[in-house]
Amino acid sequence: MSNRKLGAVMFLPAILYVLAVVGVPFVLAFIYSVGDVKIASVGYHFVGLENFRSVLQSPTFRRSLYDSVVFTVGTQIIVLVGSTILALALKEHFRGRGLVRFLILLPWVAPVSLGAIGWKWILDSLYSVINWVLIAVHLVRPFEEPMWLGEPSLAMMSVIGVESWRLLPFSTVILLAGLTAIPRDIPEAAAVDGAGFWRTMFQITIPMMLPIVNVAVLFGIIFTFTDMTVVYILTRGGPYDTTQVLPSLAFFTGVLGGDLAEGAAISIFLVPLLMAVAYLMLRVAHRSEVA
Amino acid sequence: MAKKNERGISRRDFVKVAGAGALAGIGTTFLFPERAWAQQKTLKIIQWSHFVPAYDKEWFDTVFTKEWGQKHNTNVVVDHIAIGEINARAAAEVSAQKGHDLIMFLSPPAAYEKQAIDHSEIYQEVERKHGKPIQLAVKSTLNPKTKKYFAFSDSYVPDPGNWRKDLWSAAGYPKGPDTYDELLDGARKIRKQTGNPCGIGLSQELDTNMAMRALLWSFGGSEQDEHGNVVINSKATIEALKYMRSLFKDAETPEVFTWDPSANNRAMLAGKASFVENAISITREAEVKHMDIGKQIMISHALKGPAARLASEHVMSCYVIWHFAENKEGAKQFLVDFVDHFHDAFKASAFYNFPCFPSTVPNLKDEIANDPKAEPPDKYKVLTDVLDWATNVGHPGYATAAVDEVFNTFVIPTMFAKVARDEMTPENAASAAEKEVKRIFDKWKNA
Repeated sequence: MSNRKLGAVMFLPAILYVLAVVGVPFVLAFIYSVGDVKIASVGYHFVGLENFRSVLQSPTFRRSLYDSVVFTVGTQIIVLVGSTILALALKEHFRGRGLVRFLILLPWVAPVSLGAIGWKWILDSLYSVINWVLIAVHLVRPFEEPMWLGEPSLAMMSVIGVESWRLLPFSTVILLAGLTAIPRDIPEAAAVDGAGFWRTMFQITIPMMLPIVNVAVLFGIIFTFTDMTVVYILTRGGPYDTTQVLPSLAFFTGVLGGDLAEGAAISIFLVPLLMAVAYLMLRVAHRSEVA
Repeated sequence: MAKKNERGISRRDFVKVAGAGALAGIGTTFLFPERAWAQQKTLKIIQWSHFVPAYDKEWFDTVFTKEWGQKHNTNVVVDHIAIGEINARAAAEVSAQKGHDLIMFLSPPAAYEKQAIDHSEIYQEVERKHGKPIQLAVKSTLNPKTKKYFAFSDSYVPDPGNWRKDLWSAAGYPKGPDTYDELLDGARKIRKQTGNPCGIGLSQELDTNMAMRALLWSFGGSEQDEHGNVVINSKATIEALKYMRSLFKDAETPEVFTWDPSANNRAMLAGKASFVENAISITREAEVKHMDIGKQIMISHALKGPAARLASEHVMSCYVIWHFAENKEGAKQFLVDFVDHFHDAFKASAFYNFPCFPSTVPNLKDEIANDPKAEPPDKYKVLTDVLDWATNVGHPGYATAAVDEVFNTFVIPTMFAKVARDEMTPENAASAAEKEVKRIFDKWKNA
């Protein structure tokens, strides 16, 4: 067998996997979104863009679109800043570095639902350990403790915080790999020329890491935009839809509400936008690499 | 020659004997599959984990289904599922066209009509034995347009008020609140005196869905009229919204926006809430766990509003047999026999499940009025007239697929919550809800 054929054969399982797990559901979602499929339908009728027109009329959809953007941008800012700091710290040699790396990785390797349920109890209205401490140290009075999942702004901060906690290890590992790939002689030469920490950071380290940062942000955006687990477990979109994001709304409408077509329309609404973001970021990464 | 081991049997002999035994066992099934089928059938049931755990553990799973299985030579498999996962599970089974023979919903599953058999036959058979079902069951499981029963309802769960005797007595209401006006007045006083908030939910979950509908109906509003026309944007709805805003501002905390279906149970048992609307699972749990707080929690009728005294059922048990179920006949027979034994179910649920066929529990009033587990023994007596104030989701119309989507996308709780937090005026919230409900109703018109 020629190398070319062998390569194709070895590549085939990956293609089949992507087609089965991503391709088929995506095509199905697209077909549903332009049809009249309900949860118990036995037929299919093409309705064009009717489902998209319908969801655009819904204030809940518009709110969810806004929340999705806030949720994603907020999470990415925290993750980017946090993972950069962590990667810089973990690059250095210190005692117990292996253990710290392991602990930081835990939120990523643990099932997301398990972590989210843990956070739900930490932020619970009745049994919150945070509130218990706040009351114990007399910072707040009983019956007046903050409702982490009950106030719109606190609830959004909570879901952003938990999502950041979940994504931080992934981004940290990527950035750490990028940092360790920077040839040592470059920062050393800069140090000899008198460049301090900040100058080295902003004029050497970050520009050299830009392609890998782009990859981390790109994955982060896609993971966050398409994730509903954290929101579903923590708030179910509440209070009154102020943390509702598009994936959770698609689930409520399509699966629980029974309107599969509209659920599909909601779920693929952002595909063109996400594809554009991915394309732009990969181009930026490629240019940085070439430069 | 095969080498014999020390115990006197060779490996080859062992393989021969084991192989012959296995073939003998498999052989009859392989050669006469129809005989094997005749030997034992399977009936697969999926339903929630009951809020009164003894119902599952001490009766349904371990006694009734076992005895029924033996009598009908059927292996009955009962799977339990969390309360919030039922609809997702049903959607998955429909999508795969495979799953359980019987699935139990907790609210009318009208959206699944096309995948469900017509359950008329079961109603007829049960009616022949036990008389007519209550209207609540009919309106929750019948599509008036197609005349098809898309589910079978054996029972419902009343949704009374649960109030703290000590707190309400100190606030001047020793018998608890009887009207929404009294609730507002008493809850305000309690919040001021002791800090304990009222616990009527404003979240996107089952209990809030029921509580907000009770409030809406009691003020004269509803999402649809009896003919299925959207009428939510009404003066009565606006008054109900104003009321809820006052109640939240004066007597509740933002905690009510965070709740799931069991959160109000926890708040009451933890001694925090002064009043919640819930089934009797709160007091039952207190009794089972010998919690002192249980003695202080009393049960009331649905509260009376300016227009009516109405509440939804807390849970509407709706069993569905799928078209694709493998043992439809067994499932039908099971439901008929289940209603025959409903008195046992009523007792096993500790009076949580009320019968949709009243003749199955002929002495219901007496039994409820004299419960040795309760303290005082007549604690649950107020539930004897539950049918005077319990109604179906979709009242005054039927529980249709459109009503189902409005219910499951939490349009009504969201409307109330936005007004409570001054995100919208009552007028704007009613108007926005009207648009959303109309949009949903329009989608389902031709479905």
